[in-house]
Amino acid sequence: MIRLQGVRYTYPVSSAPALAGIDLDIAEGSFCAVIGPNGAGKSTLCYTIGGFVPHYFRGDLEGEIVVAGRNTIEHPLGELVKHCGLLFSNPLNQISGARFTVREEIGFGLENLGVPRVEMHARIERVLDLLGIDDLAERSPFGLSGGQQQRVALASILVMGPQVLLLDEPTAQLDPLGSREVFAAIRALSQTGMTVVLVEHKPELIAAFADRVIVIDAGRVVLDGVPQTILASSELQRIGVATARWTEAARLADAHGLWSRRDPLPVTLDQAAEGFRVAQNTPS
Amino acid sequence: MMMLYQPRQSPLHRLHPLTKLVVSFGLIVLALGISIDWAPLLLFVVVLVPLSLLARVARPFLDTSLRLLLPFAISLFLIQSLFFPEGSTVLARFGPLTVKAEGVRFAFASTVRILMITGALLLTLLTTHPGVLMSALTQKGFPPQLAYVIVTTLQIVPQMRMRAATIVDAQRARGLETQGSLPRRVRALLPLIGPLVLGALVDVEERSLALEARGFSASTPKTSLFEIADPLAERVFRWSVLLLMIGLIMFRLGQALL
Repeated sequence: MIRLQGVRYTYPVSSAPALAGIDLDIAEGSFCAVIGPNGAGKSTLCYTIGGFVPHYFRGDLEGEIVVAGRNTIEHPLGELVKHCGLLFSNPLNQISGARFTVREEIGFGLENLGVPRVEMHARIERVLDLLGIDDLAERSPFGLSGGQQQRVALASILVMGPQVLLLDEPTAQLDPLGSREVFAAIRALSQTGMTVVLVEHKPELIAAFADRVIVIDAGRVVLDGVPQTILASSELQRIGVATARWTEAARLADAHGLWSRRDPLPVTLDQAAEGFRVAQNTPS
Repeated sequence: MMMLYQPRQSPLHRLHPLTKLVVSFGLIVLALGISIDWAPLLLFVVVLVPLSLLARVARPFLDTSLRLLLPFAISLFLIQSLFFPEGSTVLARFGPLTVKAEGVRFAFASTVRILMITGALLLTLLTTHPGVLMSALTQKGFPPQLAYVIVTTLQIVPQMRMRAATIVDAQRARGLETQGSLPRRVRALLPLIGPLVLGALVDVEERSLALEARGFSASTPKTSLFEIADPLAERVFRWSVLLLMIGLIMFRLGQALL
C-alpha cells in the first residue's frame, strides 16, 4: 500500500536532509507506528507519504514514493488526498473556519472534491456513526473540547474515503480525557482494516494498536519490527525515545536479578503485571 | 461561538448572499456619494437599524457596530478636532491645544461613514451563514481561494478576541496587571500584541496544510452541501442596484470634473 525507495528529502531553507535514505514497505491493512526523537523526521515522513512533499513543501526530493498505487510525485495533491488522509496534532488549526456546524465542517472536504450533495449527506452520516459523534453534528466545531474537535478533524479526513490514514501526533495537544476519546476513535478505525501510519510518543498506546513499529533517527530507519520487540529494545533509550514506565521497571528488576530471564520485557501493563507475578513466584 | 453569524428565521436570512452584499455595497456607495455630513448616520438609523430588527439581530448588530466604531471614533475626534490643518473656528482651548469646529465636523463625517460601512457589511455577516456565503461566491465564479479568504477574514474578529482573552488570562496568572486605570489598561495591551500576532502567524502553515489535506486545491468543480436559492426577482434587483451604483458614481465623477 505504501512503498518508499531511496527517499531523501531536504527542506528548502535547510542544508541537512530531513529524510536521509528511507526504504519502506507498508502492507495494506497494517497499523504502523512511527517513533523517534524530536526532529528525527517523523512528520516529514508523513508529509512525504501524503504527497505534501514535494507538492506543498518544495526542496530537494530523491527516490520513489508510491501510495495506494499512485506515484506521489507525478499526481497532484488534490488527487492524492482522496486516497491518503493526514491528521495533524492541533485540532483547532484543522477547523476550516468557513463552516458553522460539525456536519458542515465534515462536508467541507467533500465539497472541495466535488462530491454530489446526496452522497455527501450519506457519507457524513456514516462517519458520524463510525466515530460516535452523532450528538455533535449540529454543534459549532469551535464550541467543542479538544478531544471532540480532534475527532471531528478525524471525521473530516475519513469522510473523504482514504485508503491510507496518516496520524501525526493526534493526541499531542490533548488532555488525558481528550487522548482517550481520540484513541477510542482510532481503535474503531483499526478494526476497519484501513492502512494507518501513526506518529506517536506514548508507548502504551502504540502497544495497544500497532502491529509494526518503525523507529526513525536523523532521517533514517534505525529499527523496524513488531511492538513486543521494538518497544522493549534498549536501543530506544540510547536515541532518546521514552519507553513505558513498566518496561523500565522490568528492565531495572532484570538488572537486579528480579525478572525471569525466560520472559521478554513487558510492553503493556498486563504483561508487566504477569511478569512480576511470575518473578515473585520463581525461586531465585 | 466564534462566528458572527446569528442563525434566525427572517426574510433577510433567506436572501441570496450576493443580494445582501450588493445592497451593502450600494448603501456604502450611497453613504459616501452624498455630500451631506449626517447622511450616512441617517441611512444607518433609517435603513440598517430597521433591517436588523427585521432580521432579529438588532442587539448583536448595535453592540458589535459600536464596539468596532469606538476606537476609530475616539482617535478621529482626538486627532482631527485638535490638529485639523484647515481649522480656524476655535471652540475650546486646553493650554497650547485648541479644538476647532472644522476638525470636529470632519471627525463626525468620517465617523458616521465608518459606522455606515461597518454596519452594512456587519448586517450581511450576521444574517449570512459563512459556508453559504463561500459557496455562493464560488458558484458565481469567484476563485475558491479568494472566497475562502473573504469569508474567514470577515469571521476572524471573534477568533482573535478568544485568542487574546487566553493570552491575557495567562499573563494575569503570572502577575501582569491588566485592570484598573485607562493608562494601566493601555500598557497591558503592549505585551498582548507580540504573542497574539506571532501565534496567529505560526498557525498559518498548519492551517494551510490542513486545508490542502481536505482537497482545497483539487481541480474538480466544487459542489455545495447547501441549496442556495437565487430567484429571478433577486437577480433583477441585484442588477438594478448595481446600475444605480454605477450611475451614482458617474454622476459624482461628472460633478467633480465640472
